Amino acid sequence: MLISHLVCALSLVVFFILQTAIFSQSPLVSGTADMILLFLVAWSLQEEVKNSWMWTVIAGVLVSVFSAMPFFAPLIAYLAVVGLSKALQRRVWQNPLLAMLIVVLLGTFFQHALYVIVLQITGAPIPWAQSLDNVILPSVLLNMIFALPIYAIVKDLSRRISPMEVDV
Amino acid sequence: MKFLKSRNTQTIIIIAVVSGLLFLALSGYLTPVFNLSLNPLISLQSWISVRYLSAREFFTSPRDVTFLQEQNALLESQVTQLQTQLIVFEERLGEAQVCFALLDFGRTNPQFSYIAATVIGREISPFMQYIIIDRGTNHGLRYGMPVVTQQGLVGRVDAVIAGAARVKLVTDSTSVVNVRLKSAGIEAQLTGSLTGDVSLDMIPLDINVEPGDVILTSGLGGNFPANVFVGQVLSTQRDANELFQTASVQPVVSFDSISAVLVVTDFEAIDITPLIPEP
Repeated sequence: MLISHLVCALSLVVFFILQTAIFSQSPLVSGTADMILLFLVAWSLQEEVKNSWMWTVIAGVLVSVFSAMPFFAPLIAYLAVVGLSKALQRRVWQNPLLAMLIVVLLGTFFQHALYVIVLQITGAPIPWAQSLDNVILPSVLLNMIFALPIYAIVKDLSRRISPMEVDV
Repeated sequence: MKFLKSRNTQTIIIIAVVSGLLFLALSGYLTPVFNLSLNPLISLQSWISVRYLSAREFFTSPRDVTFLQEQNALLESQVTQLQTQLIVFEERLGEAQVCFALLDFGRTNPQFSYIAATVIGREISPFMQYIIIDRGTNHGLRYGMPVVTQQGLVGRVDAVIAGAARVKLVTDSTSVVNVRLKSAGIEAQLTGSLTGDVSLDMIPLDINVEPGDVILTSGLGGNFPANVFVGQVLSTQRDANELFQTASVQPVVSFDSISAVLVVTDFEAIDITPLIPEP
């Protein structure tokens, strides 16, 4: 269990740094891929992983603190997306890759819709149509593209740490 | 005939013939004869020599190829090292050029104190236009400090921790900067947008704004120092039903490739929020 926590913490730090330093600086139109979301979804879809809720909260708080997004919106979005992935994990357990793609697709739409609503509440002039064209759809596309490699990496990680934990 | 058969006589004749030949040779009379007889020999020697040299080159060349291959590998590794050094030097030159440009801006605007900072990241949410810099409260940064580059206005410090700070760019959709159109001599508001485009608002309808007009900060509101270059007017949009006209703005700072900034440390932002009457 300790190894699983350690790996998850390190992975989260790596993905956070990658996100702020690289992926947020490489937009498609105005949308960007969300590596932390992809990592959390992939992590929660692994059968061996039992600590996904805890790390979702930690990741959400971390991103909410560093982000300019108000009302802890990233935390709420990540919790909802991981909840969706847990729900789908039980139903589409035979094909977790399909579950990953479905969760990323729906989760990205939900996350960005939540962001738009929160920003509109705070008074930011963010129109829905422009958001959909310039941010949401490009972000969905980027997340779908990166979903497969991230899933492969996380699956490999979880398989590597699970035998160790059995041995212990 | 006996006279001719005598040994002494023969010796004298041989000496005389040899002396004659020597005399003729030294005096040049035998040169045509020598040429005629030596030319074939020289040609033959040349032919043999060329063939020998070719044969020797053929047999010794493999050793030369190996040597050349070694030399080539050595030179290639040196070229690779030099190319690596060149890339490093080009990167350092780019950094130095940025530093010189920032220094130049500081020299031309000596009324303020600056802290140079490197951009180390961007806001995670694509809806917001923020950058993260590598200077924080430990280096003297405070909330609200204006951020500029050698080109012009970038934004202001929005949040700060010990070793880093978050800067809200003027392109953010919630950003509003009071500006002044230099040639028209009027004031307006510069607003950001979701896509990072900036536009001018609150321009009176009766004012003629030309593309290319320079936009400077006005200093109104107390958030930014006055007369910092912001950008130029690209085009204007005038609607008779609206109270004000708007204009598209080309920012002077390239926000996509911004890598280093200057934080104005001795400008104290004034919070006028308590003075604004609530509706």
